[in-house]
Amino acid sequence: MKQLSTHQLITLFASLEGGWDVRLPVRLPDGTRAMGKLSDAPPALLGGPLPSKPTAAFFPQEEQVFMASEGEIRPSPTPERPLLVAGFTARDLECLRFIDRFFATAPRDDLYFRCRETALVAAVTGWCGPAGSFMKMAQGGCDLELVRDQDEWLLLSYTEKGMSVTRGVPHRHDEGRLERLRQLSTTATGADELLLRSAAALLRDDLIPDSFWREIGDRCILCTGCNLVCPTCSCFGIRDWRSAAQTQRSRIWDSCQLEGFMREAGGHNPLGSEALRSRRRIHHKLAADLLRWGEISCFLCGRCDAACPTGIGIVSVMKEMVSRYGKTTTYMTQEGVSTVDRSSRIR
Amino acid sequence: MKRTLTVCPYCGTGCMFYLVSQGGRLVGVEPSSTHPVSRGALCVKGWNAYAFVHHPDRLTTPLIRDHGEFRPATWDEAIATVATALKSVQERHGADSLMFASSAKATNEENYLLMKLARGVFGTNNIDHCARLCHSSTVTGLTEAFGSGAMTNSIACLDDSDLIFVIGSNTTEQHPLIGSRIMNAVRGGARLIVADNRRIRLSRHADLHLRHNNGSDVPLLNAMMQVIIAEGRADRAFMESRTENYPALAATVAQWPPERAAAVTGLTPEEIVAAARLFAGARAAMLVYSMGITQHSHGVDNVRSCANLALLTGNVGRPGAGVNPLRGQNNVQGGCDMGALPEFYSGYQQAADPLVREKFARGWGVSSLPATPGLPLTRAMNAATEGRIKGMFIMGENPLLSDPDQAHALRALESLELLVVQDIFLTETARLAHLVLPAACFAEKEGTFTNTERRVQRVRKAVDPPGEARPDWQILCDLARSAGYKEISYAAPHEIMAEIAALTPLYGGISYDRLEPHGLQWPCTTSDDPGTPILHREHFTRGRGRFIPVEYRPSAELPDEEYPFVLTTGRSYFHWHTGSMTRRTHLLDREERSPFVELNPHDAARMGVREREMTQVTSRRGSILLAARVSDIVPPGVLFIPFHFVEGAANALTNNVLDPESSIPEFKVCAVSIRRVP
Repeated sequence: MKQLSTHQLITLFASLEGGWDVRLPVRLPDGTRAMGKLSDAPPALLGGPLPSKPTAAFFPQEEQVFMASEGEIRPSPTPERPLLVAGFTARDLECLRFIDRFFATAPRDDLYFRCRETALVAAVTGWCGPAGSFMKMAQGGCDLELVRDQDEWLLLSYTEKGMSVTRGVPHRHDEGRLERLRQLSTTATGADELLLRSAAALLRDDLIPDSFWREIGDRCILCTGCNLVCPTCSCFGIRDWRSAAQTQRSRIWDSCQLEGFMREAGGHNPLGSEALRSRRRIHHKLAADLLRWGEISCFLCGRCDAACPTGIGIVSVMKEMVSRYGKTTTYMTQEGVSTVDRSSRIR
Repeated sequence: MKRTLTVCPYCGTGCMFYLVSQGGRLVGVEPSSTHPVSRGALCVKGWNAYAFVHHPDRLTTPLIRDHGEFRPATWDEAIATVATALKSVQERHGADSLMFASSAKATNEENYLLMKLARGVFGTNNIDHCARLCHSSTVTGLTEAFGSGAMTNSIACLDDSDLIFVIGSNTTEQHPLIGSRIMNAVRGGARLIVADNRRIRLSRHADLHLRHNNGSDVPLLNAMMQVIIAEGRADRAFMESRTENYPALAATVAQWPPERAAAVTGLTPEEIVAAARLFAGARAAMLVYSMGITQHSHGVDNVRSCANLALLTGNVGRPGAGVNPLRGQNNVQGGCDMGALPEFYSGYQQAADPLVREKFARGWGVSSLPATPGLPLTRAMNAATEGRIKGMFIMGENPLLSDPDQAHALRALESLELLVVQDIFLTETARLAHLVLPAACFAEKEGTFTNTERRVQRVRKAVDPPGEARPDWQILCDLARSAGYKEISYAAPHEIMAEIAALTPLYGGISYDRLEPHGLQWPCTTSDDPGTPILHREHFTRGRGRFIPVEYRPSAELPDEEYPFVLTTGRSYFHWHTGSMTRRTHLLDREERSPFVELNPHDAARMGVREREMTQVTSRRGSILLAARVSDIVPPGVLFIPFHFVEGAANALTNNVLDPESSIPEFKVCAVSIRRVP
């Protein structure tokens, strides 16, 4: 195990900037935390999940796909240095794993993997959460994990890439300390995970009435923030900017909360009401992705709840679903298996 | 990757966010987590505010019309040509034949400079901006009642209110982060009254939704006050200690029992009584309004009525209360504050006051400043058609789409000897110009915007302007020098703000170093003044709050047999004004691609119009084609058309009739007919 003080860790990151495009949590001038460069703002490793999704490093809000001029198509250039992105929480890594698989599914998304494949992903876990709280350890799923404990960072490398950047850091034996943190991580399974399973079961069993989604739809002001901050949202639109000399094609984050998202050319819209779109947002994560990918695609990062101006992020909606339609004693089991009386099914 | 903290360029809410740029190009937006208004969230326009900046349509070089066609020009040639042409009009027809239109999209510093250019260099008070079209009624009405024409409270006061009365504001669509705060307040237990005959989103959350007839706000508010007085619900102590002219108000509203108002408003007397009791029964009632109140030929009267209601119930000068006009544009508050108004210098210092003129003449180093009253923008357009305005300098406005009666606006612009337009795109107005000057947009310059709650905030440069485009303030300085005012010289906008602060008591304590990170709310008079979140706390700006009783005046053009529908106009959620930015923003354009008219299902059935069918809507001024949107958002007899679309321009239909005091046009009521286009 290797360990460093915050100062030493930042020095290490700074020393890697020759070979890597290093990005890590920084504190911007008004206190907002973001994934940034050391040259732009002071580091801010403590504080828990960043408000914007860390997966944006590989799938940004806007990205040029190609430039076409005089009969020639030029793909956007590959960055000179690979990315080193630190700041993923354990839950963010679950999100990353999820969209990695999504973008890898044929046809493979070359644009995404252009930066993703060569990147070094570092998790930031341990006693570094909001107000000094404990953030569950990742224990894999990344190249490098930085675990905060007692004013120090424990460096755990899981891949050759991870080892390559920590090679110069001396090794120290303190397995007992690591074991204690691992223990903490095992017991850190929160009530919100039970909530997630309960809410998913309610959707699977079709126990949420349409009137509920109308209510949620009424509270949606169509800001699209929930989608834009969600690390497992992968929808984008294509924009072509044409001028006399050239065409620039870009892709831009899209949002299923917008009326135009599913509107067909003739005007018909299979998601033609706010109620349907609100239902889709939650149903897609909790039920549809479970069928398609074998897992729920919300990993409870909390970003949509923080970015929603009206309090209908996924955790808030799940709470309302479970408190209103769940047989709470039955649903709040570790297994999340529903034993609800089918006669109570609401239509 | 670089992040630049700045202010959203769309509405007056004043959300701050970070522009994300890479390699000199904007690639996204991230909300500020700590901003007191946006608090980590944004609306759809904010999230997409970066996306028009690098559009290939941006103006990149000055353009001079030559034999009917535009040709690119150098800055030296363009500035010299504009200065010479403006001087020539001034010399031949007099200074007051020039009109300067400033911009609520531009910074405070730029508004101040254009005001200085008009008055100090070209010697005319003919300086105005689009506040004329949105809240000039507020400036007139609230200044008269309270002594200050701005939002009395802060956005955060919505959290302290136990009753919010929204009248004539589609808040979730036009000020989304204020609308959402209202929704949150309601979930937290506050009561909500919505007075708007469209079934807007907020009405779904209202305790009471009053769908009163367009233009009947004065009868509604007078009758509410009649009930409050008759039932002994007025705040006597407040009235006695803080207000004046109550007997006159009482006498007027006594003539408006709910039964009489019901006949005019289309409401039931019970609805009016319920609204009165809810409002007067609140511990702290907050009145929120916008264009539905102001854009009438009796807009000032509407504003006075709002002020009267707040005074009568003691709802001014304390948290959770107040009269709160939501300013439309990102910097329309600042445009007014900076004196881009014919009657005021910066900080609402009267242009008619010789001492004020003397002070500014001294500050600017000019021998004298004009005493002749200036023309409001709308009256200047009328004057242009009459040949009294010969030259117009328009910075960042598009009157051909935004002004009432498009045929009239076109006539006015085409009558000009000289039209100069300074903008970021070749707008419909710029296409008519003799000279076009390419400007930097919000993301390409430094400065400040002032939001609706009087919060002065920093705008910062994230990327370079395209081609030869330059910040408005630099262009204006060059123009002033070229026109002979050699003393003008600022290294950067913070120096302009220092001059503003020195000459403007309201902004006396504002300096860039004090605006970190999230600005200061004016009045901020000294360098240690923390700013003023709530106005009129101990006393009104004018001393006592004044009741100004108003009588009902119907809208100028009411439906008749030939034009049986009321047309009301406004904005859609996804677009901004004349669409020059939002229609060039991929996602926003995708959502709302073409003009539409909202039509009640009852009327649609009667007229044989189905959803998405093409219709022709006609008024006495013009006729447009647009798709039907059949919806119970509008009540029977009312059509709604947003004014963003050149190909179905709502303002081809609207009525160029002005409020006699504020000169605001009656955008909210005119008579039209509709028919299905076979």
